[in-house]
Amino acid sequence: MKNRIAVVAAALAATVSSAYAQDVVKIGQIEAQTGTLATYGWMGHQGANMAITEINNAGGFKVGNKTYKMELVSPDTRANPQDALIQLKSILEQQKAKYVFGPFLTNVFNGIEPYATQNNGKFLLMGGATAIHAQLGTPNRDYLMRTWNWDAGASGFGQLMVDYLKKQGSKKTAMIFQNDAFTKVAVDIYTPIFKAAGMELQVELFEPGTKDFSAPLAKLAAGKPDYLFPGYTDAVLYDIVRQATETGLFKNFFLVRGSMAPGLKNKDLIDNYIAYLPKYFEQAEKTEPKVREFITKYKAFYKTNDFPYDQAPLCSSSCYDHIYMLVEAMKKAGTVDDVAKVKAALMSITYDGLWKIRYDTTGEAVFDFDVLHMKKGGAITATRVNPK
Amino acid sequence: MGQLIFGQLLNGAIIGTLYGIIALGVTLTFGITGIVNFALGVFMMLGAYAAWYFTDTAGLPYPIAVLCAVGVTALAGLVADQALFRFTRNNLVNGLLVSIGMIAVLEATALLIFTATPKELHRVMPGVIQFMGFVLPKMKLTVFLVLLAVIFGTYAALTRTWIGRAAYAYAQNPEAAELMGVRTARLQTGVVVYSTALAGLGGALYASLYSLEPTLGSLFVLKAVEAAILAGIGSVIGSLFGGVILGVTEGVGSIYLPLAFRDVYGLVFLVAILLFMPAGLFAGRK
Repeated sequence: MKNRIAVVAAALAATVSSAYAQDVVKIGQIEAQTGTLATYGWMGHQGANMAITEINNAGGFKVGNKTYKMELVSPDTRANPQDALIQLKSILEQQKAKYVFGPFLTNVFNGIEPYATQNNGKFLLMGGATAIHAQLGTPNRDYLMRTWNWDAGASGFGQLMVDYLKKQGSKKTAMIFQNDAFTKVAVDIYTPIFKAAGMELQVELFEPGTKDFSAPLAKLAAGKPDYLFPGYTDAVLYDIVRQATETGLFKNFFLVRGSMAPGLKNKDLIDNYIAYLPKYFEQAEKTEPKVREFITKYKAFYKTNDFPYDQAPLCSSSCYDHIYMLVEAMKKAGTVDDVAKVKAALMSITYDGLWKIRYDTTGEAVFDFDVLHMKKGGAITATRVNPK
Repeated sequence: MGQLIFGQLLNGAIIGTLYGIIALGVTLTFGITGIVNFALGVFMMLGAYAAWYFTDTAGLPYPIAVLCAVGVTALAGLVADQALFRFTRNNLVNGLLVSIGMIAVLEATALLIFTATPKELHRVMPGVIQFMGFVLPKMKLTVFLVLLAVIFGTYAALTRTWIGRAAYAYAQNPEAAELMGVRTARLQTGVVVYSTALAGLGGALYASLYSLEPTLGSLFVLKAVEAAILAGIGSVIGSLFGGVILGVTEGVGSIYLPLAFRDVYGLVFLVAILLFMPAGLFAGRK
């Protein structure tokens, strides 16, 4: 008798456990949440975590007759490709997740790409890394989607930014970037864009970890460029902008990644500070109800009075909106398991959240962004751009 | 070009004194406790964040904030010594393991508290000095002079005071020093605390020049160890010159060669010196 009860109990437990497993959609996320390059992954994690908790607290989401909840599995890659590879294997093989957000970093993507490609068709990888662009639409990479605007091309933000710079009368720009995987891609992207615009581009690379930029700034200034195009992380931007303005070597800056804060800190020594920003949250908070609501919810969720205005624009990639967009796509596809159908649904919709996001035919995100132009003293004008 | 080279000579010397102050801590700790304390980098980070906090958040004048930061770092050094380092005396491997563990824990804690967004102190001393066509921020020159004073002051204290001579005696022959009345346990703790205070001072001054992030000390401590080896471990003045040589090599090397390999120039120089002078440039001149 005791044995029969045990067998029935085990069968019941297995049924309940299996039913529970079917009702949870696991979402993997591989981003750097600590370390010098954490700026990019940190906000993605904050936003994804918030969206998933909101969806679960609202009772989950319905696909067909079933209600699903979500579970976020988000280890910290620390920008280390080897760590990220092990984490991705665990997410796919042990956690059995079919949807993975990230990475934002090109070096991490390069490290996981061969393994991810071996698993083509089994999952979707939705990351912001620049290196993803070149892989989109190539054979055996149906799993790949890029969640960030592309720099080049007719509607690329880099192209639009260089056009804006040209309108300011710039003829020669000096680019000073960290010597790493992303920079190699960035130099390849921007060299032809500047050339096509009839503008000269000087390039100087520096060792990761550099804090004193006196030598490269003096070297670049000798070429008399009219704008400085400095780095891509705030960790170096603060120092470059400060040292360039303090010594009077540069007064005009042009950024395609990074925040406004380094410019605002030195606003009295700067003539022009032009930056690509997915969203200028300080202004959007006043004019866009959805942004205001997000900021309020963020403060309540993370129990803080300080909203990270500097990092919030990076929520444009693999973050809050993308979780909701994925849920909409699952509903439209009528499945949470068939990744090909979910991808097709993602490609067919425009999600209207903090950003208006859609995917082009290659699987690359296209969304609206701001061009910010700060003039001496700190006055900022924001121009909203809607790529075609 | 002449201006550029002169500028980088001067700038390299200034950066070099920052390497030198940490190298001094490395060399003192090694001489007295027998361990290479890589955790001095996180004490530098602690000093930098403390100076930023006391100045920008607590609103103290910068010089007072620097003193407070040095005090906080020294206190942290004392706690670390009594809780951890005193169990690793003269055991290079254990000391290394403890210091690496401390780096991981303290950097992660700093990241949790201060986040990845860089912190930047307001300009403590704005303005520049123009000298022979080269522009030098006033604050950089001030940091240089303060660090020089501290390094030479340490040298004077070590050579002209009883406690300094006791430290030298201990470094040469611990047993003999103990027999002569040197309280070795207290001396070792004192040196560890002083070294962390030096790292804290380096960090507090660093905060007036560069933005802060939790990993700032890691690179500096590597350069400091490099400078200490270049000079010859144990040489007080040598640690200053080791740092300056490294700073100047990097600065001037970056003019003629790609900056992307800046760290390599110092290392190549180090290897070249060690090939001909295996004990370092200032070995024997303690």
